[in-house]
Amino acid sequence: MNNGTILTGEDLTKRYGDLEVLKGVSLSIDTGEFVCLAGKSGSGKTTLLSILSGLERPTSGHVRLGGKDIASATEDELALFRRENVGFIFQSFNLIPTLSAWENVALPLFPVRMKSDERKRRATDLLERMELGHRMDHLPSALSGGEKQRVAIARALVAHPKVLFADEPTGNLDSATEEAIMDILHRLHRQEGLAILMVTHEMALTKSADRLIRMHDGEVIA
Amino acid sequence: MNLRYLKNELYYQKRRTMAAVIGLSIGIALLIILNALSMAYRRAARVPLQEIGADVTVQRSGNVPKDLTGAVFPCSAVTIRDEEVKKIEALPGVRGVGRAVLLWVFDPDRAWIVLGVEQQNSVGPSILRNSIMEGRFLKEGKSEALVEAAYARQFGIKVGDTLSVAKRDYLVVGLVDASRAAKIAVANVYLPLSEAQRLAASSGQVQAVSSFNPADVNLLFIKADEERIPELSSALRTMMGKNATIGTPDSFLKLLNSLFALSDKFTLAASLIAILVAVLIAFKTMAGNITERTREIGVLKAVGWINRNVVSQLLAESVVQCVMAGFLGLLIALVAAYGLSFLQVNIPIPWEMSPRPHFLPGGGDQIFKTIRLPVHVPWTLACFAIVLSVVIGGITGALLGRNISKIKPSEVLRHE
Repeated sequence: MNNGTILTGEDLTKRYGDLEVLKGVSLSIDTGEFVCLAGKSGSGKTTLLSILSGLERPTSGHVRLGGKDIASATEDELALFRRENVGFIFQSFNLIPTLSAWENVALPLFPVRMKSDERKRRATDLLERMELGHRMDHLPSALSGGEKQRVAIARALVAHPKVLFADEPTGNLDSATEEAIMDILHRLHRQEGLAILMVTHEMALTKSADRLIRMHDGEVIA
Repeated sequence: MNLRYLKNELYYQKRRTMAAVIGLSIGIALLIILNALSMAYRRAARVPLQEIGADVTVQRSGNVPKDLTGAVFPCSAVTIRDEEVKKIEALPGVRGVGRAVLLWVFDPDRAWIVLGVEQQNSVGPSILRNSIMEGRFLKEGKSEALVEAAYARQFGIKVGDTLSVAKRDYLVVGLVDASRAAKIAVANVYLPLSEAQRLAASSGQVQAVSSFNPADVNLLFIKADEERIPELSSALRTMMGKNATIGTPDSFLKLLNSLFALSDKFTLAASLIAILVAVLIAFKTMAGNITERTREIGVLKAVGWINRNVVSQLLAESVVQCVMAGFLGLLIALVAAYGLSFLQVNIPIPWEMSPRPHFLPGGGDQIFKTIRLPVHVPWTLACFAIVLSVVIGGITGALLGRNISKIKPSEVLRHE
């Protein structure tokens, strides 16, 4: 599914003091494309994901999402950009422990002016799609690892993102749950045409991706 | 600011919430109770004078009479001239003046403490009319007397008897329970003021110590505007000279053996320390709580919360916790105030204000006014404490929220 480029990174570098983590990386992702970013630990893949998603600014280079350059945006502009354009799935779920499943899903919408009923409806619809309709009011502590990650996926989708960023989304899950989560991501990709950039170090998970980008020592090698 | 998130955070993180609320509430309770105690001692110090319907008493000390026979003035209360009284009545802040004449009368068979009181005046010892146990109050211009009830019991004096005081006869028209009234200027026998003035003016012993005209007095009771008492006290000292004894609530306060009674500065310093402790507790507890939530704040920012959203959420949490602490502190203070209100305080009455001959039984004993410490938490203090809690919560939440909102989500979410 290729409908034009949605995300572009041009000549991206990132330095932490003397340490150069990214060394002039350029890449682009098309609308509806499922891209896996693989590499050894310390190869710079998480840093690249952070920069492309607007969590972090590059030391140099440009990031364009939907044609807009976000490399020089302020912190608040980046936050708004993230809310409106991207969704995140983290390895350790990062759910808020004091919020129920549906409240966690609705978290990105809390600062948005909208009726609370509408906020709840959107969150519960997504949880139904994740087959968690019976767990809406449970706190994260009462959910299994797979359920937590499905809540996290629903949270990533609630603001209708253009690109979904997943950083080792199955890293904390057993193999059966890993398969279920990957099925959900592929379904989102196939059925809804969502662009996904997934960081992983497990090569088995990259097989079903549209494209695999390998990184080594801060550079794209393939 | 999201109310649901706020409620859940406070409810599910009970340990954090309780630590912040209890810590701050102790500081707030300390602040309230310190001020309530200080006010209670001030109220207590006013009681001896209030009982006699006055805010200030004026006396002038003089020489000890050479010969203790007939009517004499105690050395702590000699003549205050009628002209001086008129000038005092005109002083700013004076709302009313009560006059009295206190005499010791040494008759061959008995010694009396005699007080001449006005027939009708809400200021001064004529308020004894409210403590009549039997008979009636005095009528001006008549040779009649009231006798203190305990004294009457001791000597078998009854209403209708005739007393001979300094060779004058007085019909006993009533018995008065002076123990229910003031401890200042306590006497055995109460006469109309004009009778006491006549006794004093005709006494050679009185005139030898301090010349006395029939319109003069030796005790003054002044009702004054509360806020002008210090200024009035100073003016009276200037007018009456170095031998004047001016009794004010402050002079009683100094007699109370309490740090709270001794100094406004102590209460102010203790209150400031309490506020500082409250702020530090709130700040430290909430700073710890927010540090524990660094990752959570990172998640909020990652999913699109801007700095203002984060600050307003943390600010609201902080204010709500501090308001809860304010109300808990108020409750603790109210319970403590109730407990402290059972404490008794003994207010010493200086001998000069109720002089009795030392050589008579009990004449040298220290007189105390014993009352329950009137500890109350006024609504103004309660409101101040709540407002202070809101301010502490606001400042703490804003500072900590502003600081934590600057974190970069990538830094706190990176290492999993």
